[in-house]
Amino acid sequence: MVAIETIALATFHHMVLAYTALLVGIGISIPLAVLSLYSRRFASVVITGANLVQAVPSLAVVAVFVPLIGIGFWPAILAIVLRALLPIIKNTWIGLSAVDPAVIDSARGIGLTDWQIVRHIRFPLAYPAMFAGIKFAAILANSLAILTAIIGSGGLGSIVFEGMASVNIAKLMAGAVPAICLAILIDATFSALERRLTPSFMRE
Amino acid sequence: MLSEILTLWARYDLTARTIEHLTMFAVALTFAFIIGILVGVLLYRHEKYAGPVLNVLNVVETFPDLALLVLLIPLVGIGAAPTIVACVLYSILPIARNAYTGLSHVSREQIDVAEALGLTGNEILLYIRIPLSLPLIAGGVRIAIVFTMGIVTLGGLIGAGGLGAPLQTGIFINIPMLIVTAGIWVGILAVVLDGLAGIAETWLAGRFGEW
Amino acid sequence: MPSPRLFERIDRVELKNLIKRYGDSIAVDDLTLDVTGGELLILIGGSGSGKTTTLRMINRLIEPEAGTVSINGTDIRTVDPVALRRNIGYVIQQIGLFPHMTVRDNIGLIPRLEGWDDAAITTRVEVLLELVDLPPEMFIDRYPRQLSGGQQQRIGLARALAMDPPLLLMDEPFGALDPILRKQLQEEFSKIKEDLGRTIVFVTHDIDEAFRLGDRIAIMHDARIIQVGKPEELILDPASDLVSKLVDADRKFRHIDNLTVRDLMRPVTRRYFFEGGMPIGPALLAMMEDDLGLVIVTDTASGTGILNRRDAFTHRNDPVTVGDVARRPLVFAPGDSATEALRVLKRKKSPFALVMDRETPAGLFFSDEVLMRLI
Repeated sequence: MVAIETIALATFHHMVLAYTALLVGIGISIPLAVLSLYSRRFASVVITGANLVQAVPSLAVVAVFVPLIGIGFWPAILAIVLRALLPIIKNTWIGLSAVDPAVIDSARGIGLTDWQIVRHIRFPLAYPAMFAGIKFAAILANSLAILTAIIGSGGLGSIVFEGMASVNIAKLMAGAVPAICLAILIDATFSALERRLTPSFMRE
Repeated sequence: MLSEILTLWARYDLTARTIEHLTMFAVALTFAFIIGILVGVLLYRHEKYAGPVLNVLNVVETFPDLALLVLLIPLVGIGAAPTIVACVLYSILPIARNAYTGLSHVSREQIDVAEALGLTGNEILLYIRIPLSLPLIAGGVRIAIVFTMGIVTLGGLIGAGGLGAPLQTGIFINIPMLIVTAGIWVGILAVVLDGLAGIAETWLAGRFGEW
Repeated sequence: MPSPRLFERIDRVELKNLIKRYGDSIAVDDLTLDVTGGELLILIGGSGSGKTTTLRMINRLIEPEAGTVSINGTDIRTVDPVALRRNIGYVIQQIGLFPHMTVRDNIGLIPRLEGWDDAAITTRVEVLLELVDLPPEMFIDRYPRQLSGGQQQRIGLARALAMDPPLLLMDEPFGALDPILRKQLQEEFSKIKEDLGRTIVFVTHDIDEAFRLGDRIAIMHDARIIQVGKPEELILDPASDLVSKLVDADRKFRHIDNLTVRDLMRPVTRRYFFEGGMPIGPALLAMMEDDLGLVIVTDTASGTGILNRRDAFTHRNDPVTVGDVARRPLVFAPGDSATEALRVLKRKKSPFALVMDRETPAGLFFSDEVLMRLI
């Protein structure tokens, strides 16, 4: 058996890991997405890069971090951030760049600056796509935060790995079940938020 | 450095690991493909179940992959079996959803023409709807390929062998060169397979029309 | 920070030796053109003739490779493009309303960025909505997707006028609308234009529209202007075969003597028919929803009448019916001679007449449209 306090603490640790990484990921990827609006080449590098790295198995990504920066909490954060960046950048960029050219043309024509076009036109129109990317990244971060226990991040994953080492089913479940519950919770919360945040111009 | 890589490659028998890896991958993807298409066709035949079934599959999709693998251990033991089951569980959604969307969104006019030509319902499915859905189905398979590659690698952690095993060994007994070699190798395999799937998808889309 | 008011009125817009290339193809080739203050100048030409490129060089959406544009003698390259554009209205065919903003926010965006307070913005938006015949109380909080094509284009125009620009650039603003609505908006627009005394540069490919609205017309072909002049100058003294062909487009209507009213009228469909007993409020609503400028009112005390949108708008809050406000139109039969009908219209100074096939309204007969087809 695993003590309930151990599980609670590990769950908390897991959430700190996943959400720190998610926030850092959001903080990095949105500026990058905006930058890629201004350079077609940069955009194609970012999007191609994002697609390529997305295909690489996460265990490989996490493992390769060990020789590069060692093990522990921060290497784990870095590995999760790298993974969580991609869907956010990609979706934000798609959202920002998919705005009807006529809308941009008229915005320029009536005298909005480049920044005002991003701020008042492109961003509000990109929110739904951005949000979908963040939701996906949150689920990904939740998933990776288990795996990163292999490089010493702690959290629910360490209970899972201890369970594997000792072939202890109770321990395996003690780690896996809360993570799955968290996943369902994240999905439900984000879906509810999504409905709340759907801009009124898109509702019937 | 090259000699170090070759030594490690031989000592940890990465050739055999690669074969194991790709075998699991092929088996899992084949099952996923068959089941995914079946689910897609069934949903298309029984539209009213489409929403609920896809919602359930969507929730499965959010489960952490490692947690799902672990959850399967009490049910099917350790090794390749839970790995393949997990791959299939993750891959049904993209394949079934895309197949369902493709089948049910063929344009009305094309169906009218087929009916006017005297094709039966099953013939329309076989000769019109399925070919027209191919590009979309290919897109779903491509997503499944990425999932499957990722989970087969994780399988190494629960005794399924494959390229995840040397990664685990490398981390546990700290052999940086082994981690890098196996990590980059599995990365290359994944990117190449995804790239091939991408080419197939583009080719099908070019042939049967863009979605 | 508010943008400076660059010019109160336009004396002159001069385009001098403008050149613009895209790769190997030349879009505008050594173009020189003077726009006089207060006039509506039409730039007309086929696709690829360079008319839109020329227009967009006036508000610096496109920078010329060579040549200058100056407004009231000031070279616009010396002016900040954003400030310049806030002093020039801009309307395009695709309208480009911001889909996530209400009508108020669409029209009020630039005033807001200029630091106006909310009350001032609301007042301004209401004035502009009145100007384009949309009741503010009904439309101010709507989103673009809740508007019909014609309504969107009215909002597009209102938005362009938000900062009261003395110069207005319009790129085929009515190009996407159906013919009758288009005519209606053209008429309303020429009234607005007279009221406000703005200078307008207007791009179109439609010669009817050019003749209907233009004080002067510049004909563009293959990146050059081939003739500039008043409509009658183009007709009487075309500079080339190309011009005479363009202004003479509908040769088939030359033998007017053989034509009847039926040949030249615009047929109407059921949605143009309103019953006389209908209260004015809902009628205006229906006209707006269907983008109708004129409707035919049946079953009034005095027979069939015509209700125009302007009258419906003016009386929208009065307790009257459609029948009360409708006017008695001139009436022709489909078989009447077109020449004779035109003579009558001219004598009565009426822009249009109703065509009745016995007891049934069959169409509308617009004088300017007929003339346009005959020129």
